[in-house]
Amino acid sequence: MGKVLLGRYIPGSSLVHRMDSRSKLILSFFFIVIIFLANNWESYLLLFIVTITSILTARVNFSFFIKGVRPLIWLILFTVLLQIFFSSGGTVFWKWGPFTLSYYGIVNGIYVFCRFVLIIFMSTLLTLTTAPLEIADALEKLMMPLKRIKVPVYEISLMLSIALRFVPTLMDETTKIMNAQRSRGVNFGEGNIMQQIKAVVPLLVPLFVSSFNRAEDLATAMEARGYHGGEGRTKYRVHYWEIRDTLGCTFFVVVFIILLFIRQW
Amino acid sequence: MVMGIIFKTVNYTYQPSTPFEQKALKNISVEIPTGSYTAVIGHTGSGKSTFLQHLNGLLRPSSGEIVIGKQIITPETKNKELGELRKHVGIVFQFPEAQLFEETVLKDIAFAPKNFGKNEEEATAIARQMARQVGLKEELLLKSPFELSGGQMRRVAIAGILAMEPEILVLDEPTAGLDPKGRLEMMEMFKELKEKQNLTVILVTHQMDDVANYADNVIVLENGRLIANGSPKKIFAQPKWLIEHHLALPKAGEFAVNFEKKTGYKFETLPLTESDLASQIVKMVHGGVQNG
Ligand SMILES: Nc1ncnc2c1ncn2[C@@H]1O[C@H](COP(=O)(O)OP(=O)(O)OP(=O)(O)O)[C@@H](O)[C@H]1O
Ligand SMILES: [Mg+2]
Repeated sequence: MGKVLLGRYIPGSSLVHRMDSRSKLILSFFFIVIIFLANNWESYLLLFIVTITSILTARVNFSFFIKGVRPLIWLILFTVLLQIFFSSGGTVFWKWGPFTLSYYGIVNGIYVFCRFVLIIFMSTLLTLTTAPLEIADALEKLMMPLKRIKVPVYEISLMLSIALRFVPTLMDETTKIMNAQRSRGVNFGEGNIMQQIKAVVPLLVPLFVSSFNRAEDLATAMEARGYHGGEGRTKYRVHYWEIRDTLGCTFFVVVFIILLFIRQW
Repeated sequence: MVMGIIFKTVNYTYQPSTPFEQKALKNISVEIPTGSYTAVIGHTGSGKSTFLQHLNGLLRPSSGEIVIGKQIITPETKNKELGELRKHVGIVFQFPEAQLFEETVLKDIAFAPKNFGKNEEEATAIARQMARQVGLKEELLLKSPFELSGGQMRRVAIAGILAMEPEILVLDEPTAGLDPKGRLEMMEMFKELKEKQNLTVILVTHQMDDVANYADNVIVLENGRLIANGSPKKIFAQPKWLIEHHLALPKAGEFAVNFEKKTGYKFETLPLTESDLASQIVKMVHGGVQNG
């Protein structure tokens, strides 16, 4: 299962790696929101510079970001083509039935493409530099205010952490069982629809069985070690808001202000 | 059909060109003779399971070439070309009970033969026979495999592979976690089966006694490299070399070495099995003391 790279944490010690997961999470969301404010060449250029700077600061190989785009390339192309052929305005270069190829269409297409790439790069940066459990921690902390309106924040974050923790285990398990069934003559991903559905049963049944067993074991182990819900628990990973987090936030606020000035109103 | 196995400078890398890259096999060149009982030994993480998965093309080499019978496996070989090979190579994986899924024990054992072209009746007949072979009682056959004990599940899984009637039987620590009696029964069963049907058996094990008792050819892996290949006699001949590579002697050999150290007697050849040890001691006692 080596192909699933999107969202895989790569340990490191760069400035971005060491930032508090809360600030990274907030800044990523913030950035994704302000991407929608960009509407001319200058503003997209600014956002690209910000993204590239962040990636360089994180010292992660650029190829991971390209790989992050690849699985979504068809979705991106489809959306871009829709934009190009169905939005009109400006000089019309070509027309055929409902399709028009116009100046604005092309520009819009390019903008949409940039938007996708920026969003994917930034969210990839978040998941490449932040361990999944830290993201879950950050979500828990950020959701704390919702506790007032009786949202079960601890439970949600526990579920999220456990789910994240077991994704790699489940993928290993899947590979193992697929190998075992292949050796028994199952062909995954071949034949007609009926055959393919039938091939999934020998994979899913063992996966469910082992997941249920594992869940039971985990529950027993947690109870044996005295887990009693989230209230009053202290954390193993303690995070502190440091100067670098303040700096990071300031940087993005400055970017936001510049963006407000150079975008077209 | 004669199915010799030849590895020619095989390399295998997990997740190449990522930071998680892991070279699991390095320049492995080895031949496994048809009809041999080959033991693959080595430390945890030395690449034994990775090696095994090349034997039916579940993994294809990153570079190099593997010849099994008429099939040549290269990095470019397609999955579709390997169906025929998989019919002839049965692999019992580490903890194979994870592969059980059918409603009944009998159906699960019959699963592989059905996939490989046997009809319902033939497959069921083979399944019954194999269940007997691995020591599963008749009354268990119509139960769900998930109601069985761990040891019984292991037997069902093994029977499910034997039912393919493979010519090459590959076993990845098949007795790990079984009780001593079950362990012995299993190992004896494999031996009997091998002799009756002239199988090629490839066994991964951490039990040096199993190597001494059953194997006639040993492959030693360390860190993905082949560091020795030969008969058990040859491999176990140098206790010092074994210790350097974190391997052990079989119990009988261990006993003999200590015996020599404490008493000063010398064995003609280092005994590796209990019966060999016993007969050499008997000879010693009757033949008088050679060395005081
Ligand atoms: N799916 C995988 N992805 C990445 N690395 C792997 C994978 N499977 C095994 N490895 C690595 O390859 C090396 C060889 O593993 P392998 O499972 O072949 O060892 P082994 O000799 O069978 O060990 P054991 O005696 O514990 O079963 C190990 O370092 C392991 O971490
Ligand atoms: Mg192994």
